[in-house]
Amino acid sequence: MDSSTFARLTRQAPFHDAGHGYDVFGLHPPTLAAAVSAGAPAYDWYFRVDSQGIEHVPTTGAAILVANHGGVLPIDAAMMCLDVLRRTDPPRIPRAVADHFVPRLPFVSTLFARLGVVSGTRANVRALLEQGELVAIWPEGVTGPAKSFKDRYRIKEWRVGFAELAIRYDVPVVPVAIVGAEESWPLAMKLRGLRVFGTPYLPVPATPIPLPAHYHIRYGESLRLDGGAHRKLDDPDVISNAATRVQVALERLLDETLRMRRGVFR
Amino acid sequence: MRALVTGATTPLGRALVDTLTSSNDCSLVLAVGHEAKPVRPWRDNVVYRCCDLTRGREVHDLICGDAVEHGIDTVVHMAQHRATRDSGRKVHALNVTATRELLSRCTDHPAIRRFVHRSFAEVYALEHATSDLLDEDAALDFDPEAPQWLRDRLEADLMVCAHFGGTLQIAVLRCAEILAADSGSQLWDYLSSRVCLRPLGFDPMLNVLALEDAVTAITAAARSTHTGVFNIPGADTLPLSRVIAETVRLDIPVPGPFLAPLYGLRRWIAGFEFRYDLNLRRFHFGGVIDGSRARRLLGYVPSHPVQWPRAWWRLLLERLADSRSDAG
Repeated sequence: MDSSTFARLTRQAPFHDAGHGYDVFGLHPPTLAAAVSAGAPAYDWYFRVDSQGIEHVPTTGAAILVANHGGVLPIDAAMMCLDVLRRTDPPRIPRAVADHFVPRLPFVSTLFARLGVVSGTRANVRALLEQGELVAIWPEGVTGPAKSFKDRYRIKEWRVGFAELAIRYDVPVVPVAIVGAEESWPLAMKLRGLRVFGTPYLPVPATPIPLPAHYHIRYGESLRLDGGAHRKLDDPDVISNAATRVQVALERLLDETLRMRRGVFR
Repeated sequence: MRALVTGATTPLGRALVDTLTSSNDCSLVLAVGHEAKPVRPWRDNVVYRCCDLTRGREVHDLICGDAVEHGIDTVVHMAQHRATRDSGRKVHALNVTATRELLSRCTDHPAIRRFVHRSFAEVYALEHATSDLLDEDAALDFDPEAPQWLRDRLEADLMVCAHFGGTLQIAVLRCAEILAADSGSQLWDYLSSRVCLRPLGFDPMLNVLALEDAVTAITAAARSTHTGVFNIPGADTLPLSRVIAETVRLDIPVPGPFLAPLYGLRRWIAGFEFRYDLNLRRFHFGGVIDGSRARRLLGYVPSHPVQWPRAWWRLLLERLADSRSDAG
């Protein structure tokens, strides 16, 4: 393991130790540091991640990263989290929010918990924001990876819960466009009959391994969703409009990033 | 304060009575136990009373007789049947009916102003879709297939909660598991074996409470005027594998479906208290109780790490080291 990465993550990253070196959600910085080192070849050499706009991620305090989602497995999420961990100084540990079925997966649930991933419940996200953590949310949920290739980079379903929490806790929302994931490992078909461990379907990828598509991660300017709206938090329209504002910003960011790239693999 | 403490002969009860009687603001403790005679001498300001709480008449005489005579103003109810292998009407009578009777008598009492009920964090439902951090509003476990040990505790908890808002100030303390001998701890019994089997691929976060912290929380609740439900977490939050490592046990991950029959066989042959069906969910899904409310209103902050059960040879080595340092 890279000693400097280990030192950065275990000594400099803000971490709420609940005793014994773990936080209440199961995050374990030494395991995270090992994963960052293990993921470095994929980040640097295989996907050649190109990142812009990390300065928009707040260096301290609670914030929400909102990104698009695609590809068979959440490699896009892993690359984004790696990017944030490597490019922020002092390093910020993004707390990725996963779907409800993840805690049912043996090995995956434990590994994800040690890396800082939490199950997507309102109480979990609320607790993280109260602690001043950087929360990463993919509002498309499982509909993102379930998209067909022709729908790549098109946002289908957009959940709004993050907008309510952002308004309630008055935290900035940073839209993040991730380009490359949907060509890297497209979905061939979904086996809906095989619901192993509560997963919504069993994905069948179009290629046996992910293709070395060039990843582009672009962070947009942070958005404040309050605008006095916190007085009307119970109004579904207020929340829906705030979520749509983020969606529009993300779609614009996605379009710009797609326009700027020279090719899928270049 | 003049307090009545039920379950006073348990390790938690004894520690609580000692703490209350050594404090300046508690002039008398009426210690209530099932044993005919107290298991050890108490201080001068402790009155021991043997009482079978499953009998309504005895509860009546206790609250309307002894409590009046001694001017009791606070009741701390901790008497619960600890063994998980026992079930049936008699167990239910102590866990639920006695609580109902006691609460009913205290509600009508002229001097008793405060009722503290020791409940359990196990009443919270743990599933894949529940939060990792459980506050007082978290979902409760209403599984009809749950063992009586759990159903009784949930029923008693909800029954006490149903009395909120009256003249009697009620505090319900949902305590994390007290990891200590003779405390009815499932985890303690689980760790008493040299080999600990756990579900393959799962390593959930657990929170355990030291006896000293439980006493601190109950004492703070008895002194406070705040009412409602309070989560009482312990100072130790760690994964199950780390719990096993702390106690120097052999950790063997086993596929989940094999664990229930293996631990069932262990109970049947060796008579252990640990029930896998009672712990199945918390051995898969993390669930740590959030003590923010207790910290804010009761001023309770866990500060005592638990004393992990040690192997005999390790205890021997520690004692030898202590005696050497004393001699030095």
